[in-house]
Amino acid sequence: MNKTNQTSTRREFLRQSALTCGTTVASMAVIALILPDDAYAAGTTSEYDWDKHRWVYLIDTRKCIGCGSCARACRKENQVPEGMYRTWIERIAIPPEGEVHVDSPYGGEHGFEPDPPNAHVRKSFFVPKLCNHCSNTPCTQVCPVGASFETNDGVVLVDPKQCIGCGYCLQACPYGSRFMNPHTRTADKCTLCYHRITKGLPTACVQACPVGARQLGDRKNPNDPVNEILATQRVQVLQQQLLTKPQCFYLGLDMEVR
Amino acid sequence: MEPASSLKHTKHIFRVSFLLGFVLIVMILSRGLFVPKSWGQYGWYRGDAVPEHRAKPVVHGGDQSCRECHEDQYDLREEGAHVGVRCEGCHEPVGSHVINGEMTAPMFIPASFELCTGCHRRLAARPDDFSQVNPQQHLEDNEMDLTDTVCTECHDPHSPF
Repeated sequence: MNKTNQTSTRREFLRQSALTCGTTVASMAVIALILPDDAYAAGTTSEYDWDKHRWVYLIDTRKCIGCGSCARACRKENQVPEGMYRTWIERIAIPPEGEVHVDSPYGGEHGFEPDPPNAHVRKSFFVPKLCNHCSNTPCTQVCPVGASFETNDGVVLVDPKQCIGCGYCLQACPYGSRFMNPHTRTADKCTLCYHRITKGLPTACVQACPVGARQLGDRKNPNDPVNEILATQRVQVLQQQLLTKPQCFYLGLDMEVR
Repeated sequence: MEPASSLKHTKHIFRVSFLLGFVLIVMILSRGLFVPKSWGQYGWYRGDAVPEHRAKPVVHGGDQSCRECHEDQYDLREEGAHVGVRCEGCHEPVGSHVINGEMTAPMFIPASFELCTGCHRRLAARPDDFSQVNPQQHLEDNEMDLTDTVCTECHDPHSPF
């Protein structure tokens, strides 16, 4: 009797388990079929063809005055959290002998302190920096969940909905262009103002620059002035030896700039 | 003693197959639920992330949007040395002032010593051909005292010379 009871209980248990599992799976399937995956699914891409663009960036360090307008505009345009920088400006001072001095107080956002009175450095200049949107970028390669990716028009983006905040990409970027957003706890970086450039507007930093030190270029537009500069002038990229193929080009860079 | 039958384990094989099939179905259905629908649309990432980035609001409207109401200041700046300086560079983004053609808040009017010297204080790192002064020296030369709005007493920020 005891034995029969036991068998019956086990059978009952298995049956109920199977029923529960079956119901769960069935309801999950129904939810998966009914639930719209995303509010933005389809649409909004009709007026922009990303196969017709290849974005690049050009910085003329000989023009930069270190005013910080770009960094301020970036913060306001993209709601960048305080203390974090998607773009910043470094002041490089290279004496004839001795150590190179680099400073970037608050990312250069509020300008720069006056030179110390005893600083007689004749080789000094500003270098604005941002994500280099490398075409062979290590940051997207290390992402374990596919939250970092490169668009067909050459912009490296982060999908905050997929990002798990592991921080591998922060370590992989040799330029320090990424940071952990303290509000979303996901990786954050320059989007090359993807919401602007895909509407035909310049990035916020390019628009803000009062001296034209920053320029946005489109390699697929033959009439783009940036293409003319890249074709005729001597440009450099940061840390070329890392073979990341940066798409942010510099004019007037010194070998001491990393 | 029962004779050995090849059909002896049929029941067990059926059970195992049923279990494996069940697990497979669960996996397929779970994948349908947990993997975003647009995954792999363009590559190994969620395709919808692209239109989501594109849909973010534009905050800086550019000089032309300021011109719609402030043509006088726009034209004045256009003829002066500050032609390259964007309205929103010194003021605030147009999004903080006008939304859909309706004024939502007054525009910030900056005219501070700090704002002017942020660009025009003499620094070794600045290009030589850029207009810059030693603020203390400049004030002494013109016999003026340092106040927050001292620059705009002589210079019109929209057309400084």
